[in-house]
Amino acid sequence: MEHKITFEELWEHEERQGLQQRLRQDYPSWLRRRRQRRTALASIAVLVVTGFSIFNFQFSTHRKYDNVACNRSGIAEGHWATVAAEILTKEMI
Amino acid sequence: MKRILHILLPVVCCLLTFACSRDVEEMPLYQKYAMRNDLTVAQVTGFQLNDSVKTDVVILVADDSTAWAGLKEEFDIRTAEGITSWMGDIDEPANRVKRSVRPAWRAMAVHADRTIAFYRIDTEAQRQALMDYQMRTIENKQ
Repeated sequence: MEHKITFEELWEHEERQGLQQRLRQDYPSWLRRRRQRRTALASIAVLVVTGFSIFNFQFSTHRKYDNVACNRSGIAEGHWATVAAEILTKEMI
Repeated sequence: MKRILHILLPVVCCLLTFACSRDVEEMPLYQKYAMRNDLTVAQVTGFQLNDSVKTDVVILVADDSTAWAGLKEEFDIRTAEGITSWMGDIDEPANRVKRSVRPAWRAMAVHADRTIAFYRIDTEAQRQALMDYQMRTIENKQ
Protein backbone atom coordinates (compact mmCIF):
# COMPACT_ATOMS: atom_id res chain seq x y z
CA MET A 1 0.00 0.00 0.00
CA GLU A 2 1.46 3.30 -1.06
CA HIS A 3 1.97 5.89 1.65
CA LYS A 4 0.86 9.35 0.56
CA ILE A 5 2.98 12.19 1.90
CA THR A 6 0.89 14.81 3.61
CA PHE A 7 1.51 18.49 3.17
CA GLU A 8 2.79 18.77 6.76
CA GLU A 9 5.30 15.95 6.21
CA LEU A 10 6.49 17.53 3.01
CA TRP A 11 6.81 20.93 4.67
CA GLU A 12 8.78 19.43 7.59
CA HIS A 13 11.07 17.54 5.21
CA GLU A 14 11.75 20.59 3.08
CA GLU A 15 12.30 22.75 6.12
CA ARG A 16 14.83 20.26 7.53
CA GLN A 17 16.58 19.89 4.20
CA GLY A 18 16.73 23.64 3.79
CA LEU A 19 18.08 24.14 7.27
CA GLN A 20 20.74 21.48 6.83
CA GLN A 21 21.77 22.97 3.51
CA ARG A 22 22.01 26.43 5.05
CA LEU A 23 24.06 25.11 7.96
CA ARG A 24 26.40 23.32 5.54
CA GLN A 25 26.87 26.47 3.52
CA ASP A 26 27.05 29.10 6.22
CA TYR A 27 28.39 27.24 9.27
CA PRO A 28 30.60 24.34 8.03
CA SER A 29 33.09 24.62 10.92
CA TRP A 30 30.28 24.59 13.51
CA LEU A 31 28.84 21.43 11.94
CA ARG A 32 32.26 19.78 11.86
CA ARG A 33 32.91 20.63 15.53
CA ARG A 34 29.46 19.31 16.45
CA ARG A 35 30.14 16.05 14.63
CA GLN A 36 33.57 15.69 16.25
CA ARG A 37 32.14 16.42 19.70
CA ARG A 38 29.41 13.82 19.25
CA THR A 39 31.86 11.18 17.99
CA ALA A 40 34.21 11.88 20.91
CA LEU A 41 31.39 11.57 23.46
CA ALA A 42 30.15 8.32 21.89
CA SER A 43 33.69 6.89 21.89
CA ILE A 44 34.21 7.83 25.56
CA ALA A 45 30.89 6.21 26.49
CA VAL A 46 31.83 3.03 24.62
CA LEU A 47 35.25 2.91 26.31
CA VAL A 48 33.79 3.46 29.79
CA VAL A 49 31.09 0.79 29.43
CA THR A 50 33.48 -1.72 27.85
CA GLY A 51 36.16 -1.05 30.46
CA PHE A 52 33.68 -1.42 33.32
CA SER A 53 32.34 -4.69 31.87
CA ILE A 54 35.81 -6.16 31.41
CA PHE A 55 36.91 -5.06 34.89
CA ASN A 56 33.77 -6.56 36.42
CA PHE A 57 34.23 -9.82 34.55
CA GLN A 58 37.92 -10.11 35.50
CA PHE A 59 37.14 -9.29 39.12
CA SER A 60 34.46 -11.99 39.28
CA THR A 61 36.77 -14.64 37.81
CA HIS A 62 39.67 -13.91 40.20
CA ARG A 63 37.81 -14.09 43.49
CA LYS A 64 37.92 -17.14 45.73
CA TYR A 65 34.18 -17.86 45.70
CA ASP A 66 31.24 -17.87 43.30
CA ASN A 67 28.49 -16.19 45.26
CA VAL A 68 27.58 -14.97 48.72
CA ALA A 69 24.19 -14.61 50.36
CA CYS A 70 23.63 -12.96 53.73
CA ASN A 71 20.53 -12.21 55.80
CA ARG A 72 21.95 -8.82 56.82
CA SER A 73 22.75 -6.02 54.43
CA GLY A 74 25.84 -3.85 54.53
CA ILE A 75 28.42 -6.62 55.00
CA ALA A 76 30.91 -7.01 52.15
CA GLU A 77 30.77 -10.34 50.27
CA GLY A 78 34.52 -10.82 50.64
CA HIS A 79 34.21 -10.70 54.43
CA TRP A 80 32.40 -14.04 54.52
CA ALA A 81 34.97 -15.75 52.31
CA THR A 82 37.63 -14.47 54.71
CA VAL A 83 35.69 -15.79 57.71
CA ALA A 84 35.32 -19.20 56.03
CA ALA A 85 39.07 -19.30 55.37
CA GLU A 86 40.07 -18.07 58.84
CA ILE A 87 37.97 -20.62 60.71
CA LEU A 88 39.73 -23.42 58.84
CA THR A 89 43.05 -22.02 60.00
CA LYS A 90 41.94 -21.57 63.59
CA GLU A 91 41.03 -25.22 63.96
CA MET A 92 44.60 -26.27 63.21
CA ILE A 93 46.26 -23.88 65.69
CA MET B 1 28.26 -0.46 10.45
CA LYS B 2 30.78 1.23 12.74
CA ARG B 3 27.96 2.79 14.74
CA ILE B 4 26.25 -0.59 15.18
CA LEU B 5 29.51 -2.06 16.49
CA HIS B 6 29.83 0.86 18.93
CA ILE B 7 26.47 -0.06 20.40
CA LEU B 8 26.72 -3.85 20.15
CA LEU B 9 30.13 -4.26 21.80
CA PRO B 10 29.22 -2.71 25.17
CA VAL B 11 25.82 -4.39 25.20
CA VAL B 12 27.41 -7.81 24.63
CA CYS B 13 30.00 -7.13 27.36
CA CYS B 14 27.27 -6.10 29.82
CA LEU B 15 25.18 -9.17 29.02
CA LEU B 16 28.23 -11.40 29.50
CA THR B 17 28.94 -9.84 32.89
CA PHE B 18 25.37 -10.23 34.09
CA ALA B 19 25.19 -13.79 32.81
CA CYS B 20 28.29 -14.66 34.82
CA SER B 21 26.99 -13.13 38.05
CA ARG B 22 24.04 -15.47 38.41
CA ASP B 23 21.68 -15.47 41.38
CA VAL B 24 22.57 -17.41 44.50
CA GLU B 25 20.64 -20.61 45.14
CA GLU B 26 20.04 -20.66 48.87
CA MET B 27 20.79 -23.90 50.71
CA PRO B 28 18.21 -25.34 53.15
CA LEU B 29 20.59 -24.85 56.09
CA TYR B 30 20.96 -21.16 55.19
CA GLN B 31 17.21 -20.77 54.70
CA LYS B 32 16.50 -22.41 58.06
CA TYR B 33 18.49 -19.81 60.03
CA ALA B 34 18.28 -16.75 57.76
CA MET B 35 14.95 -15.69 59.31
CA ARG B 36 16.36 -15.59 62.85
CA ASN B 37 16.78 -12.06 64.22
CA ASP B 38 19.49 -13.00 66.71
CA LEU B 39 21.82 -14.54 64.10
CA THR B 40 23.83 -13.22 61.18
CA VAL B 41 23.73 -15.94 58.57
CA ALA B 42 25.82 -16.16 55.41
CA GLN B 43 26.25 -18.66 52.62
CA VAL B 44 29.41 -18.77 50.52
CA THR B 45 28.80 -20.76 47.35
CA GLY B 46 31.78 -22.22 45.50
CA PHE B 47 34.38 -21.42 48.19
CA GLN B 48 37.65 -22.31 46.49
CA LEU B 49 39.78 -24.86 48.37
CA ASN B 50 42.31 -25.29 45.57
CA ASP B 51 42.55 -24.79 41.80
CA SER B 52 39.97 -27.45 41.00
CA VAL B 53 37.96 -28.13 44.18
CA LYS B 54 35.24 -25.94 45.61
CA THR B 55 32.73 -26.34 48.40
CA ASP B 56 29.75 -24.50 49.85
CA VAL B 57 29.93 -22.93 53.29
CA VAL B 58 27.19 -21.76 55.65
CA ILE B 59 28.22 -19.47 58.51
CA LEU B 60 26.13 -18.72 61.59
CA VAL B 61 27.20 -15.84 63.85
CA ALA B 62 25.37 -15.29 67.13
CA ASP B 63 24.75 -11.58 67.75
CA ASP B 64 24.98 -11.88 71.55
CA SER B 65 25.80 -14.33 74.32
CA THR B 66 22.17 -15.41 74.69
CA ALA B 67 21.93 -16.33 71.02
CA TRP B 68 25.27 -18.15 71.28
CA ALA B 69 24.04 -20.14 74.28
CA GLY B 70 20.97 -21.09 72.24
CA LEU B 71 23.09 -22.17 69.26
CA LYS B 72 25.38 -24.24 71.49
CA GLU B 73 22.39 -26.03 72.92
CA GLU B 74 20.85 -26.54 69.51
CA PHE B 75 24.04 -28.09 68.11
CA ASP B 76 24.93 -29.94 71.30
CA ILE B 77 28.23 -28.11 71.80
CA ARG B 78 29.38 -28.86 75.31
CA THR B 79 32.79 -27.21 75.42
CA ALA B 80 33.08 -23.61 76.59
CA GLU B 81 36.16 -22.38 74.72
CA GLY B 82 38.47 -23.01 71.77
CA ILE B 83 37.18 -24.77 68.66
CA THR B 84 34.65 -27.58 68.55
CA SER B 85 34.42 -29.55 65.32
CA TRP B 86 32.35 -32.47 64.15
CA MET B 87 30.92 -34.17 61.09
CA GLY B 88 27.21 -33.39 60.90
CA ASP B 89 24.31 -34.96 59.09
CA ILE B 90 23.50 -33.11 55.87
CA ASP B 91 19.85 -32.57 56.86
CA GLU B 92 20.32 -32.26 60.63
CA PRO B 93 23.83 -30.87 61.20
CA ALA B 94 23.42 -31.18 64.96
CA ASN B 95 23.48 -34.96 64.58
CA ARG B 96 27.02 -36.34 64.54
CA VAL B 97 27.88 -38.81 61.77
CA LYS B 98 30.93 -40.91 60.92
CA ARG B 99 33.76 -39.30 58.97
CA SER B 100 33.07 -41.56 55.98
CA VAL B 101 29.41 -40.48 55.52
CA ARG B 102 28.72 -38.48 52.31
CA PRO B 103 27.29 -35.94 51.87
CA ALA B 104 27.89 -34.36 55.25
CA TRP B 105 28.79 -31.07 56.92
CA ARG B 106 32.20 -30.47 58.43
CA ALA B 107 31.18 -28.15 61.24
CA MET B 108 33.52 -25.91 63.24
CA ALA B 109 32.36 -23.78 66.14
CA VAL B 110 34.60 -20.95 67.31
CA HIS B 111 33.61 -19.91 70.82
CA ALA B 112 35.58 -16.66 70.85
CA ASP B 113 33.77 -15.44 67.71
CA ARG B 114 30.38 -17.02 68.55
CA THR B 115 30.53 -18.51 65.08
CA ILE B 116 29.77 -21.89 63.56
CA ALA B 117 30.90 -22.63 60.00
CA PHE B 118 29.56 -25.60 58.04
CA TYR B 119 31.62 -26.86 55.07
CA ARG B 120 29.73 -29.16 52.76
CA ILE B 121 31.56 -32.41 51.99
CA ASP B 122 30.18 -34.34 49.03
CA THR B 123 33.28 -36.11 47.81
CA GLU B 124 36.56 -37.49 49.07
CA ALA B 125 38.32 -34.86 46.96
CA GLN B 126 36.58 -32.11 48.92
CA ARG B 127 37.49 -33.67 52.28
CA GLN B 128 41.11 -34.00 51.18
CA ALA B 129 41.17 -30.48 49.75
CA LEU B 130 39.77 -29.11 53.02
CA MET B 131 42.56 -30.79 55.00
CA ASP B 132 45.19 -29.68 52.49
CA TYR B 133 43.85 -26.11 52.71
CA GLN B 134 44.28 -26.17 56.47
CA MET B 135 47.80 -27.60 56.26
CA ARG B 136 48.82 -25.17 53.52
CA THR B 137 47.62 -22.17 55.52
CA ILE B 138 49.53 -23.32 58.59
CA GLU B 139 52.70 -23.89 56.56
CA ASN B 140 52.40 -20.42 55.02
CA LYS B 141 52.02 -18.85 58.46
CA GLN B 142 55.17 -20.56 59.82
